[in-house]
Parts: sequence; C-alpha cells; structure tokens
Amino acid sequence: MKLNAYLLLILVTVTALFSSFANADDLVVTIVEPYVDFRTGPASEYPIFHVAEQGEAITILKKKTGWYKAINAKGQSGWVSAEQLGKTIKPSGEQLYVPTGSFEDYTNRTFEFSAFGGILENVAAMSVATAWNMTGNLVAEASYTQALGDFSENKLWAVRLQHHTFPEWKVSPYLTIGAGGINTRPRSNLVQSGDEVRKSDFYEVGAGLRYYFARNMVVKFEYRKIIALTDRDEQERIQEFKLGFSVFF
Amino acid sequence: MKFNNKLIINNRLIISAAFVLSVCLFQGQAFAQTAPRMMQANDEKAPALIDPNIKRRDISESDIDTEDFEIGIFGGFIGIEDFESSELIGASISYHINENLFLEARYAQATAGQTSFEKLSGGAPFLTEEERDYTYYNLSLGYNINGETFFTDNLVFNSDFYFTVGAGSTEFGGDERFTVSVGAGYRLLLTDWWALKVDVRDHVFTSDIIGVEKDVHNLALTLGTTFFF
Repeated sequence: MKLNAYLLLILVTVTALFSSFANADDLVVTIVEPYVDFRTGPASEYPIFHVAEQGEAITILKKKTGWYKAINAKGQSGWVSAEQLGKTIKPSGEQLYVPTGSFEDYTNRTFEFSAFGGILENVAAMSVATAWNMTGNLVAEASYTQALGDFSENKLWAVRLQHHTFPEWKVSPYLTIGAGGINTRPRSNLVQSGDEVRKSDFYEVGAGLRYYFARNMVVKFEYRKIIALTDRDEQERIQEFKLGFSVFF
Repeated sequence: MKFNNKLIINNRLIISAAFVLSVCLFQGQAFAQTAPRMMQANDEKAPALIDPNIKRRDISESDIDTEDFEIGIFGGFIGIEDFESSELIGASISYHINENLFLEARYAQATAGQTSFEKLSGGAPFLTEEERDYTYYNLSLGYNINGETFFTDNLVFNSDFYFTVGAGSTEFGGDERFTVSVGAGYRLLLTDWWALKVDVRDHVFTSDIIGVEKDVHNLALTLGTTFFF
C-alpha cells in the first residue's frame, strides 16, 4: 500500500515537471475575420478584455479543451475559442485546422474511452472501456466491469468487436461480439473458509445505440448477453444493460 | 628430401594463391556491392545541388501543447462511519472534456480506527489490522462553474467551483462494496497548469460490518494540488 502511494507521488512529480517544461514550437497565425476575442480564461463565461483585429498576427501558446491561449505583438495574452481560431490562416496561407470535437471529428476518431453504469443480473455494475476505431465500421474494444452485489463480487474483462452499420448517423446502432473472463468471489460474511474465487470464460453478443450528444461527448446505451462456460453442467446466462458516455481522441 | 621440399613449395604456393584469390574475390565482391550504391548515390546527389523545394518549417495544430489532463495528489481526513475519522491520502487524474465537463478518477487510502464498542468493552476487535485498511477508487463526472477569484484589485486568479457525481468501489473490512460518491470542490488556478483544490466528498455504500446492514456515509475533506498536462 505504501509502495503504491510512493509510485503515485513519483508519477505526479514527473508529470508536474513535464507539464512546466513542455514547450512546443510556437504557431503564428494571422487573423482574416474582422476580429478575434481575447478572454481572461478558457471558457465562454470569462470576460472579453481585448479584441485582436484583422491582419494582426497572434502566437498560439497552448490549448485547454476548446480554447487556445494566444499572445499578440504587444504581449497581451488571452484565450481564443476554437471556432474563432479556425478562421485564421497559417504563414503558408492555408486555413488553420482546429478540431472542435464536432460530429465529423468523432467519425474520424482513433481512440475512444467510455464509462458506463448499469445492471448486471440485478446487481449494480460499472464498466470502463477503451476502443480503437479500425475502419469506421469496425471498432475493437476492451472493457472491464465490476459488479459488487450483496452476495458476491464479480469482475469481468472482455474484448469485443463492434460493427457500426451506419457510422454516419448521429443516432447509430451497432452490434457486438466478444469473449472474456469472469471472476466471482462470494462475500466474506457468507463464506468463512477463506476466498473461494470462481473463474470462468465467457462469450458475449450484444447490441448498442450511440448518440453524438455534445462537443467531445457521445452517449451510449448497450445490452449484452453473456454465456459463461462454468465447471458445472449448466452454462450460466447473464444479461447486462448499461448506459454511459464516451470521450474521443 | 627433394620430394618433400617440392611438397612444401607446392603447399606454400597453394596457400599464397588461395590468399591472393580470396583477397581478390572479397574485394571484387565488395566492389560489386559498392559500385551500384555509389552510382545510386550519384544519381540522387546530382539534382540535390540546387534544391528549389526548400522545406518550410510547417508547424501544425498538432504541435500545440494541450493541457486537457489534470493529475494530482491530495490529503485530508475521512470520517469512516462507526470507525472514527482517519487521515486520507490519494491521487487523482482528470480529463477535461470541454470547458464545463470533466471526468475524474480517484484513488485513496486510509486506515480505519476502532468503534466505540471496541474501545469501551475492551473485547475482541471487529476487524483484523489488515481489514482496517480502507481503500477506494471512483470515477466521477464533474461540472465546472467557471469563475475568477479576486484576492485584491491586482491579484486575480481563475478558479472554478465544481460538483461531482460518481461511482466506484470501497475495499474495507474484507469486502469490496459498490460506492456512490457525490461532492463539491473549489479549484484555484495559480498558473495555467498548476492548481490548488479543496474537495468535500460523500461516499455512500451498504455495509454490514457491525452486524446490521445499513447505508454508511463516509465524508472526506481533502486539500490537493494538481497539474495540467
């Protein structure tokens, strides 16, 4: 346990050092629209304190969600929205491409991270998953689910393939097929003779629906039917319903 | 003797001949290998004397330093229902989805104390030392209310007040329990990439450690620092 804490501390320190020294090449862009707003912070709620004019060159320093920190020739720095920055031009004369987390950016995603809450056979379950968009239609996903019930603790991992038939639709259905493993441990107050962990492999089929909800965010509803290959004579059939959301990169 | 001498000369001849031959062969081979390469190199170099396509230093959007992730450590106190309150330390990592929403994963650990019954009766303890290790993790969705904090007229920092709702697991008393956590916090951004945080979180789960099954509320008050990267 203590080792864990030290490792985390080291990780945090390294990241802190990295974050303060990370300095990419500066990108200078020219404003072609009538003006660009400089805000005091990276959100639309922050007040506009300066307006950079047409023809002015600004240097982009960093990005935080949909906001870019820019500095002008006078040394004033503020936050510019991705939408406004997308209308500026690079020194080469071409328009700057700025991802806004739009639906188009979603369809061109490479990785996706999802978190779900749901019900696995009457037990509250939560899952996390990472997915790799292979072709737009085919997506490979790895997931981990934990369902902590009154009688047992269940941990499931799985790898699956999703097929999105109509990836260009904003509300898009998909089918999944996969395989994984399940670990079941009875509650400590039910079993006195130590941990009796049962392990079994399983196959799963499922279906889902995803909806592009907001910038950088997708909502998902999924169902899967699990057939666990147990040591007993009968196979165990488990159902799971879950609702969650995804962010994409 | 004469015959022997001849044999030796013959041997020497053969060896020296073999040596010369092998050297020639190897060099030939080497030459055979380098010759086309040199020619190739010449082919490539010839037009490179004057290169009209001077590569422009093209800096694209992908070179911009993004700071959407936030990593940090925190420490404070957690009141573990029936088991006193204890010091808590932990770490967190967040991903800022947009200016308002963020996703946060938290891991923390504490060591639970004794129940009043254990203390007063002096009897057998409820839990072993190992079972008193209290660890939890959770994944939350947070909502930022963006703002600024004015300490004086000139000393102004960006800050936000946020709410979080999440779920996770608590390992305590030999069991892992599904835990719902809700909370609120305040983030003071000292620089663009360095922040101080104060957090209040309630962790609710069903527990039967002291016999009867009930919902327990374990409130944690923590102070932390985070870095954006």
